[in-house]
Amino acid sequence: MDQAIFQVSLHTVLWIPLYTLFGGIASVLWSPACFRRTGPRPAGYLNLLVASLGFTHSLLALGAIWGQPAQQVSFTWLQVADLQLLLPLEYSSQSIGAIAVITGLNILAQLYAVGYLETDWGWARFFASLSLFESGMCALALCNSLFFSYVILEILTLGTYLLIGIWFNQSLVVTGARDAFLTKRVGDLILLMAVVALWPLAGTWHYGELAEWAAQAEVAPHTLTLVGLALMAGPLGKCAQFPLHLWLDEAMEGPLPASILRNAVVVGTGAWVLIKVQPVIALSPIASAAVIGVGAITAIGATLIAIAQIDLKRTLSYSVSAYMGLVFIAIGSGNSQAALVLMLTYTLSMALLVMSTGTLIWSNITQDLTQMGGLWSRRPISGLCFLVGGAGLVGLPPLGGFWSLLTLMDSLWMRHPILVGVVLGVNSLTAFSLMRVFFRVFLGQPGPMTVRSPEVLWPMVLPMTVLGGVVLHLPFLLHRAAIVPALSVVTSPFALLLIWSCLMGGGLAGVIYGRHWAQQPVRLFWPALQDFFAQDLYTAQIYRGTIIWVVQQASRLIDWCDRYFVDGLVNGVGFTTLLSGQALRYNNTGFGQFYILTILIGLSLLMLLVTYPILS
Amino acid sequence: MPLQFYLLLAAALFCIGIYGLVMSRNAVRVLMSIELMLNAVNLNLIAFSNFLDRQDIHGQVFTIFVITVAAAEAAVGLAIILSIYRNRDTIDMEAFNLLKW
Repeated sequence: MDQAIFQVSLHTVLWIPLYTLFGGIASVLWSPACFRRTGPRPAGYLNLLVASLGFTHSLLALGAIWGQPAQQVSFTWLQVADLQLLLPLEYSSQSIGAIAVITGLNILAQLYAVGYLETDWGWARFFASLSLFESGMCALALCNSLFFSYVILEILTLGTYLLIGIWFNQSLVVTGARDAFLTKRVGDLILLMAVVALWPLAGTWHYGELAEWAAQAEVAPHTLTLVGLALMAGPLGKCAQFPLHLWLDEAMEGPLPASILRNAVVVGTGAWVLIKVQPVIALSPIASAAVIGVGAITAIGATLIAIAQIDLKRTLSYSVSAYMGLVFIAIGSGNSQAALVLMLTYTLSMALLVMSTGTLIWSNITQDLTQMGGLWSRRPISGLCFLVGGAGLVGLPPLGGFWSLLTLMDSLWMRHPILVGVVLGVNSLTAFSLMRVFFRVFLGQPGPMTVRSPEVLWPMVLPMTVLGGVVLHLPFLLHRAAIVPALSVVTSPFALLLIWSCLMGGGLAGVIYGRHWAQQPVRLFWPALQDFFAQDLYTAQIYRGTIIWVVQQASRLIDWCDRYFVDGLVNGVGFTTLLSGQALRYNNTGFGQFYILTILIGLSLLMLLVTYPILS
Repeated sequence: MPLQFYLLLAAALFCIGIYGLVMSRNAVRVLMSIELMLNAVNLNLIAFSNFLDRQDIHGQVFTIFVITVAAAEAAVGLAIILSIYRNRDTIDMEAFNLLKW
C-alpha cells in the first residue's frame, strides 16, 4: 500500500508545476478588482495550501525515487516538417530533491509573506507571481531539455519583472524592475543564440544526449568556444554575475518575502542550467576559463561590495552574487557535484539570513545599518537565526557551508590551486561582511530606529525558526545521503584553513565593530576606495556610460533617420506631386491665343517627329 | 512659275496669319488673321487644282466651299465678338483670361 502511494506520487510528480500554476492563477480572483468584498487574504491561504500539497507530493516522490535510477519521460510538444520538439522530463533523486527544496522554501516564504504583507492589499498579485515562480522552478528542475529550460527561464524573467514591480507606485521599484528584466533578458537572448547554434551541431537539446554528443564531439574549437560563451551568458545574467549584476541590487526594492525566494532559489535557476550544459562548456577550455574567471571576479568583487553596503538587504544581495560566483567556479572547473551541494547549502542559509533580516526591517522600518544596533537582548530569535544562517553560509563546521566549501576546495586543489585561495578569501570576506552586519545590528548601543523593537508576528517567526532547524539538520541529511565526505576530514588542512578563514574574517569584524576600536562609522584610509565599493564599483554609471549610451545614441540616430530621411523620402514624393501640380497649372493661362499657340507648337513638333526620317 | 512658288506664297501667307492670330490684341484682327489663313488654304487648293487636277478641278470646288464656310464663320465670329463687347466693353484679347487655372 505504501509502495503504491510512493509510485503513484512519483508518476504524477509532473503535476506539481501544474497545480502550483493553477493555484497562482486562482489567486488572481482575490485581486481588488475581482472579489471586492472578501479581502485579499484567501489568495495567500490558497497558495500556502497548494505549496504544501506540492511539498508533500515531492517528498513522497523523493521517497520513491531515492536510490533508484532516473526515469525519463517524454512528450511531443510540436511536430513540424523534420523538427520534432520533444519535452523530455527527468525524474531523478536530484531533480525531485530540487523540487522538494523549492516547494519547501516556498511554503516558508509564503507563510512569511502572510505575516509580512499583513497591511498590504496586493496579495493576489504577489501570491500569483510567487506561484508562477514556484511552478516555473519546479518545471525547470524536471525539464531535461535545453530548449524548454530556456522557455522556462524566460517566463521566470517575466515573473521577476512582475514580482519586483509589485509596488509600482515607487519610482525606484519601477527602475529596478526594468533593469532586472532587461539585464536578465540580455543574458537569456545570448543563451538563445547558443540554444539555436547547438541544434545543427548536436542535433538535440536533450541534456543527456548533449552530454553524449560532447563526449565525442569533433567541432572547430572556435565554434565550441563561442557556443560555450553564449551558454554561459544566460546563467551569467540570471545568477547576477559580473558584469550583469546590478539588477539584483535594484531587485531589493521588491517585497522582502520575494527576496527570500530570489536570493535563495531564483538566482540558482541559471546555475542549474549551467550545470546541465557543463559537458558542452567543458569542450572549450576558453569557455571554462571564462566561467571560472567570471565566478572568481564576481565572488571577490561582490563580497567586497557587500562589506561596503549600509543597506541591510543589499549586504545580503551581494553575498548572493558572490556565492553564485563560487558555484560558477565549481561548474567551470567541472565539479558539478560540488556546485549542487554548494547550491543546496547556500540556498537554505541565504533564505534564513534574508528571513531574519526581514523580521528586523518589518518592525524597525529602516534598512540602514547605521541606524540600527543593540537588538540582541530584545530580538534573540532573529539574532540566533542570523547567526545560524551566517554560520551555515560560510565554512564553519559543523554546518552545511563547511562541507560544501570543503568539497569544492578538495576538487579544485589538484588543477586550480589559486582558486582554493579565492574560495578561502571569499569565505573570509563573507564572514567579515556577515559579522559586520551582526555587530552593527544586534550589538552595540540601540540606534535611533531600534529603541523600541518588538518581536514580530508568529507567521514570520515560525518559518524562520523552522528553516533555522533545517539549516542545523542539513549536515546530518548530507551525511545520511553520503553526498559529502566523512567526518574525519575535519582535521584535513583545508578544513583547518576554512575554519581559520572564517574566524579571521569574523574576528576582524568583531574587533572593528564590536570593541569600537575604530572610529564609527568606519572610514577607510583611502575614502575613494570605500566609495568605490559602496557605489557598487559605479556599475550604474558604467552601464549608463557604455551600453546605454551607445544604444541611446543609436536609437536617436535611427529615429532621426526614420523621421527625416525615410519619412522625408516618401513625403517628398507627395510634396513633389503637389508642387508640380501647383506649378504646372499656370500653363492654363486663360488666354485663348496661348492655347492656339500650344496647339500649333504641338502640331509642329508632331509633324517634325513624323517627317524627321524623310527630311534627314 | 512652278507649283512650289504658289505653295511657298500660300505657306508664307499662312504663317503671317498665324502670327496675327497669336499676337493680335484686337479680336477683330484675330478674325482677320483667320481669314488670311483660310485664303492661304484657298491658294493651295487652287494651285493644286491647276497643276495636278486640270480635268476635274476638285480643288476649285473645295475652294468655293471654303469661301462659303469662311463667310459664315466670320459672321458667327463677329457676332461672338459683338456679344463679348456688349458684356465687357472691350475687344482686347488680353482681357479675356477669366478661364485660367
